[in-house]
Amino acid sequence: MKWLELLTVGGATLVAAVTVVVLYSLGVRLTAIAGDARQASPRSKRAFANICFGLCGLAVLFGLYLIIPYFSA
Amino acid sequence: MVALVIALALFFDFTNGFHDTANAMATPIATGAIKPKTAVTLAAILNLVGAFLSTEVAKTVSGGIIREGSDGVLITPDIIFAGLMGAILWNMITWLKGLPSSSSHALFGGLIGAAIAGIGFHSVNLETLLQKVILPAVFAPLIAGIVAYICTRLAYALTSRHDPETGSKLTQKRGGFRTGQIFTSSLVALAHGTNDAQKTMGIITLVLISAGTQAPGSGPQLWVIAACALAIAIGTYAGGWRIIRTMGSGLTEVKPAQGFAAETSTASAILASSHLGFALSTTQVASGSVIGSGMGRRGTTVRWNMVGKIALGWLLTLPAAGIVGALTALLVKTGVVGLVIAAVAGTAAVLFMFVYSRKSHVSHHNAVEVEEAGQAVRFARKKALARARAKAKAKTEPKAEATDTADEQKDTQR
Repeated sequence: MKWLELLTVGGATLVAAVTVVVLYSLGVRLTAIAGDARQASPRSKRAFANICFGLCGLAVLFGLYLIIPYFSA
Repeated sequence: MVALVIALALFFDFTNGFHDTANAMATPIATGAIKPKTAVTLAAILNLVGAFLSTEVAKTVSGGIIREGSDGVLITPDIIFAGLMGAILWNMITWLKGLPSSSSHALFGGLIGAAIAGIGFHSVNLETLLQKVILPAVFAPLIAGIVAYICTRLAYALTSRHDPETGSKLTQKRGGFRTGQIFTSSLVALAHGTNDAQKTMGIITLVLISAGTQAPGSGPQLWVIAACALAIAIGTYAGGWRIIRTMGSGLTEVKPAQGFAAETSTASAILASSHLGFALSTTQVASGSVIGSGMGRRGTTVRWNMVGKIALGWLLTLPAAGIVGALTALLVKTGVVGLVIAAVAGTAAVLFMFVYSRKSHVSHHNAVEVEEAGQAVRFARKKALARARAKAKAKTEPKAEATDTADEQKDTQR
């Protein structure tokens, strides 16, 4: 039986999905905070939010990079 | 015969496409993130791209379940023809019922049934069958479901906002997830292309090798890749609206943050599994994710009734496709007449189901409790705005507070 492969797949799925979801959620939250009426520094919050979205996109691209054989070969 | 099998394989690819549109696009359609027509177009294009990206899966498609090769039995085009027939018919039936069932299992089932009837029981490798089909079928929804549950919890926990002073809930502002859904569902469509179009490529290559027109052990040729990519893209565009209805609103109500979490888990599970060599079925992963995310969001119910129906469909997939495959194999064995009868009967059955489906037409216009659901979400957003305004008022008029908290509690449920 390929229990090891099963575990690897489960682990990889968990790590990848959690990374993307956490980054994106932080982005959403920071955007929401930046949009609040009384806010000390909406611009820096907005910037952090964009960084989060950017990192999230990078994480996805990195995942694709790992998978597509054209790059890894 | 070879041409007939290739045509049938491409048709199978087509059914696979429209059967599986739902996996990628049901949740964003349900939350109103993308319009139905746009969604299927996007999915079709990404499937096309995905099919070209990687042909790793194609090389291992049915590998080992049927003992082919030097020391085993020879798979003839006849067997593949029969197997495909079983797979296509089962795909059509489940589509008619709106059940998301695994196209790959239908294919395996058909091939196994055909091999048993055409060659004998010794032709099937039981251990590989257990390892490649049955275990993944148990674990695919489980892994995807657990991951989706965790992700949904995280997404909601990270974006729940309280007023630091009063501790009361603020407007949650989770609209960003709807935009995110466009990307995650695209990723699922791409993953589907890299995964499912490969199966047909593998089959056609198998036929070409067994007919002697291609060297054994070589990968799929370019025209095969192109044809399969096109077939699956067209199928995806045609859209299996019945299954979209089931996945988008039949299992549980889907909200943007939840849909985002579900799609992310689906995409990562499919990509991880097909890359790490423990192939999971796209459909089972996607259904698992939707259920898991439904359990993760407070205030939702998962319709276990529907889940049971789907699970029953999964159990039946292998044997049902197998029986049709076996019957076809027996017919084909009798010679050219049998082959013609099988082909005609198969076409007739497909046509009949298509005509029958017209009776209760489901298309992008009405897959759509779904579209209504989308509007409901937009409506709710307006309601949230109104509520925020009411709250601002409540700060000046403390009396209104009581009704407001009641309202807020409703908001938490969301």
